[in-house]
Formats: sequence, C-alpha cells, structure tokens
Amino acid sequence: MLLAYIFGLNQKKLIRTNNLTVKYGDVHIKFPNINLDYGGQLLIIGKSGSGKTSLLNILGGLMPPETGNVLVNDLDFFSLSRNKRDNFRGQQIGFVFQTPHFIKSLSVNDNLRFSQYMSSKVNQSKIDMLLKKVDILKLKNSKIQNLSEGEKQRISIIRALVNQPSIVFADEPTSALDDDSCFNVVDLLTNLSQENNTTLVIVTHDKRLKDKFSNQINLNDF
Amino acid sequence: MIFKLAWRNITTRPLSSGLSIILLSSSIMVIVLSILTMKQMDSKFKENANKIDLVVGAKGSRLQSVLCNVFHIDYPNGNIQLKDVNFLSKHPFVKNAVPISLGDSYKKHRIIGTNPSFIKQIYNASISKGNIFSKPLEVVIGANVAAKLKLVIGDSFNGSHGIEESIHDHDDFLYHIVGVLNPTGDIIDQLIVTSLESVWQVHPHDYKKGSFDLKTAEEHEHHSHDHVSENYKDNKEITAVLVNYSSPRAKFSIPGIVNQKNSLMGAEPAIEIKQLLDLIEPAVNILYVLSLFIFGLSLFSIVVTLLNSMKDRKYEISMMRVGGASVRLIFISIVLEGFFIGLIGSVSGLLLGHSIMGIMARFLNFKYNYQFSGLVFDKLELVLLLLTILIGMIAAIFPAITAYRLDISKTLKNKI
Repeated sequence: MLLAYIFGLNQKKLIRTNNLTVKYGDVHIKFPNINLDYGGQLLIIGKSGSGKTSLLNILGGLMPPETGNVLVNDLDFFSLSRNKRDNFRGQQIGFVFQTPHFIKSLSVNDNLRFSQYMSSKVNQSKIDMLLKKVDILKLKNSKIQNLSEGEKQRISIIRALVNQPSIVFADEPTSALDDDSCFNVVDLLTNLSQENNTTLVIVTHDKRLKDKFSNQINLNDF
Repeated sequence: MIFKLAWRNITTRPLSSGLSIILLSSSIMVIVLSILTMKQMDSKFKENANKIDLVVGAKGSRLQSVLCNVFHIDYPNGNIQLKDVNFLSKHPFVKNAVPISLGDSYKKHRIIGTNPSFIKQIYNASISKGNIFSKPLEVVIGANVAAKLKLVIGDSFNGSHGIEESIHDHDDFLYHIVGVLNPTGDIIDQLIVTSLESVWQVHPHDYKKGSFDLKTAEEHEHHSHDHVSENYKDNKEITAVLVNYSSPRAKFSIPGIVNQKNSLMGAEPAIEIKQLLDLIEPAVNILYVLSLFIFGLSLFSIVVTLLNSMKDRKYEISMMRVGGASVRLIFISIVLEGFFIGLIGSVSGLLLGHSIMGIMARFLNFKYNYQFSGLVFDKLELVLLLLTILIGMIAAIFPAITAYRLDISKTLKNKI
C-alpha cells in the first residue's frame, strides 16, 4: 500500500476511461484509455473522422459511448441522471469550441454571469479579474455581436474557466486562427488553466500545437 | 437571471415578439371593449328601465316609446290626450302616473315638461341648489347639464324646437333656471325639467298635432307661438305617462287596460330593454367570435415566434446545456418568454380597451348625453388577464419541448 502510494500507483486520477467506443453506422471507433491527473494537460490529435470530437463529447458527458465508461473523480459520468450530469458538468467542466457561441441577447458580462448562475457560483469579482487578465475588461458591457472573432474566442476561454472547473475541454480552439492568434489562444488556455489548477484537454488536428504539449495522444495510431 | 434572459430574448427580437404582442393585445382589446360596452349598456338600461314599470304613450313601436320616454334617445310615436290617461292616477294598483311632454331641447339636452313627481317619485332625485319649478318657463336642470353647459341658477336660455337637431329657436320664450339637481347617475342628470304648462305655452298648436310631427323645418315655416288659449285646455296633449305600480298584480291588469284603448299603448321598459339587448347580443357575439379568432391567431403567432426563435437559438441553447443548464432550466426560460408575451399582450390590451372605451364614452356623452366610462372594470377582465398569461405559457410549451429534446452533441457537431 505504502509502495503503491510512493510510486503513484494508487493516486486518484481526475479522468479515467475504460474501453471507450462509438459507432457511426457500420463504423466502430475504438479509443485509447485515458488517465489524466489533476492539473495535467493533454493534447489529443487526429485527422478528420478519427473521432476526436466524439471522444471530447464523451469525456464531457455530452454523448454516451457505445461501450466503456468514463470516470471523473472516480464518478461514472453516465451513471448519473441527466439533471445531475448537467449539474456536474456545470460545476466541474468548462468547454471551448472552435466557433464560440454565446447568448446573443445578453452582454459579455451577463453571458459570464449566466455561466456562473448555471453552476450556482455567481462571483462578479472573478469575472472582472479574468476579463482584466486578458485585457478585455472594457468589453464587459458590450453586446456579443459587436465583438471580433478573436475577442469572442478569448471570452469563450474566460467562460470555460469562470466557474473554476476541474477540467477544460477545448475542441479545435485554434483551427481557424492565424499563427499569432493560434499561439496566443493556446498560451492563454494553458496559462489560465495552470493558474487555476485546472486540467486541460485539447483535441485538434492543428499540427502547430504538437510541440506545445508533452502529453499527447494521437488517435491516428489506434 | 432566468427572468432577465427570458426578457432579453423577447426584446432582442422586437419584430417577431412585437407581432405576437400586437395580435394578442388587439384581441384582448376587442374582448374588453365588448365586455365594457355590454356591461355599461346593460346596467344603464336596466337601472333606468327598472325605475318605470309602464310607459303609456301613443300607438306605434313599443321599443321606440321606451327609448324616447325613458332613455330620451328616440323620437315619440305621437301625442296622447291627457284626459285619456287620467284614469291611471286613480287606479288602486298605480303608485305614480307622471305625465311628460317632449318637444324641445337646449344644446342637445332634452327639455321635459312634467310635474315635480317626475323628479321626486320616479328618479328619487333631490334639489342641490335653488327650488323646484313653480311657474311656467321655470326649469330645474340635471347635475350633468349644469356641469357640462356651465349653467347656474338665474341663467336663462331659449329652447330649440326638436330633439336631436334644432329646427328653430323659440326666441320668444326664455327659460329661467331656478334649481339644480343632485347627481343621481340616472338619465335625469342629463335632462332639463320644467312644468307641462311651459311646453304647452311654447307649443300652443303643436301639442294638438303631436310634438314630434314637428321634426321638419318646412312644417314650421308658418309656426306661430300664440299663448295657450282656453279652448285647448280640455284637449291638452302630452307625450306619455310614466307609471309605477303599487301592486305586483298591476303587471297583469294595467297593460291590458291601456292597450284596449284605441289611442293608447303600454310598453314595459324591462321587457323592451331585454328584447333590445337580445337584439344586440348576436352582434356582440360576432365581435367575441372575431376577437377569439384573433386571439387564436396570436397564440399561433406566439408558437411560431418561439419556434423560429428556438431554431435561431439552438446553438445558444446547446451552449447553455454544455455550460450545465438543466433541461428544466431551459424549459422554464422559454415558458417564461411565453409568460412575458402573454403578460404584455394582455395588459396592453386591457389598457387599450379601457382607453378606447374612454374615448368612445366622450363621444357617447357628447352625442347622446349618455354616461359611459373607460374607468369601469369587470371581474371578467381579471380572468381574461390570468387566462391569457396562462395560455401564453401553454403556447410556449411546444417550443420549450423542442428545446428540451435538442441533441447537444449533434447540434454542436453540425456547426463546429
């Protein structure tokens, strides 16, 4: 027991997956098992159709796998009821997508407050602090449609982190960006995740990110 | 926050939300207008009709006789001989038999020739200032006449011949105001009351022919205003007698006695008004059906508006779900949108209905001297308000179910 503890064999993992598969028509996709520590970072790369987004959706509890299970904090995500799963996701998980979507009728600040409201963690100072950190505090009361794509993406990163989640999943966050913006967004994601002690999982086919992460899974190998 | 979201989702789509609200508001307005008009007509008519059990006048239309002699909004059928109705006041079943004679008006307010019983017995009105008339050409004016025409005791005026349109002024005869009545809420508030002798004095010839044969100017070209001669006294004519019964049995005997006489006709206001309201009812029902149709359209519009909104917002809704919003929260937020549309539509419809009733009341007061108001409320309106809000929420349920069933992963996959 002591040896297991010293060598980390019994260390509690944040995410643990077992034999996950999905099925699209006649095509079965099998995923590698994932074990990810608290505060860790993982890059999942793969070509189009390799099942990257499906894997992310399964990990985030957005769609159930065909077989296998996902343990987040040793909790089987899909054993929870839909409401509890929604609630758990709101509390523990943040998402960043390639195209950021917001509630158009609300301002930047209200969108972020709504994210907090959904997980019962309304904290205006946290919002202000994150907006200040990415230098867009002045956009706090702006309407979403008045923002540039880069600004929207930065706000979507803040939204993912505003509830201080345990994990942030980012799905192709840089694919549509030029090199400068790409590295800015990745730096922002990695830095903010580290500061918040949040685990970061990025799925992408963007090869520019390959050298940025030491922990990688290439779905093309499976 | 959820209220703010629902509210913002309505205000950021002003055209589509506005259309639903306008449709809902229009239908509520028509319903409210119908309710208020019927309520006030019903109460005003019944209030006044219940003060008189029988109108005895010249043969002709019973409804016209009631409208003319009780509500003062129509022309008389003709005149009757005073001596023919003398028996009424002596009948043991009759409490009051008050003669009235019509023919003139002042600024669209009728001048009624009668005796003091008209004020005291029929309308239970009292003098607020001055005295009751005691000599010919002395008048007592109703509270609204005094307020509207700014008349006070001591003022004089010339009556105009005719009821609606003035045919000519009786320049030789000056009416003197000797009293003002307290307001009663009844038709007497709109009247100018004088003695029968005043009318006979002003119309020495007319009463023989029937005051309202004198509706055209041509007939008056050679009209003279001689004083009442002694020859006429035995043949005095009046327009009608207003009768109150002293016994319920009178209802079964007096009208029969009256109608047996060749020159007389009895009309019971309660029956005539019920028949009139029965006549109006189909028109009001058509209005109700029309408003219900618009109401149905507005509900359909709410469903379409919200469904389109769901289509536009499916990525938003997916993102909300991704962010941890439960399906219940999303369902509630959409039903809340229906609640707000229902609330705004019904409240604005109620306000519009009352405002238009207020404007119509001004016209009715001016044209017919009939007191309608936009500030009358009916408990049905509260039911309508609650029902509309409830139906607005029900209309939002179908779009809410669509949002409830949204597959987040598929939706996001299609776009992202």
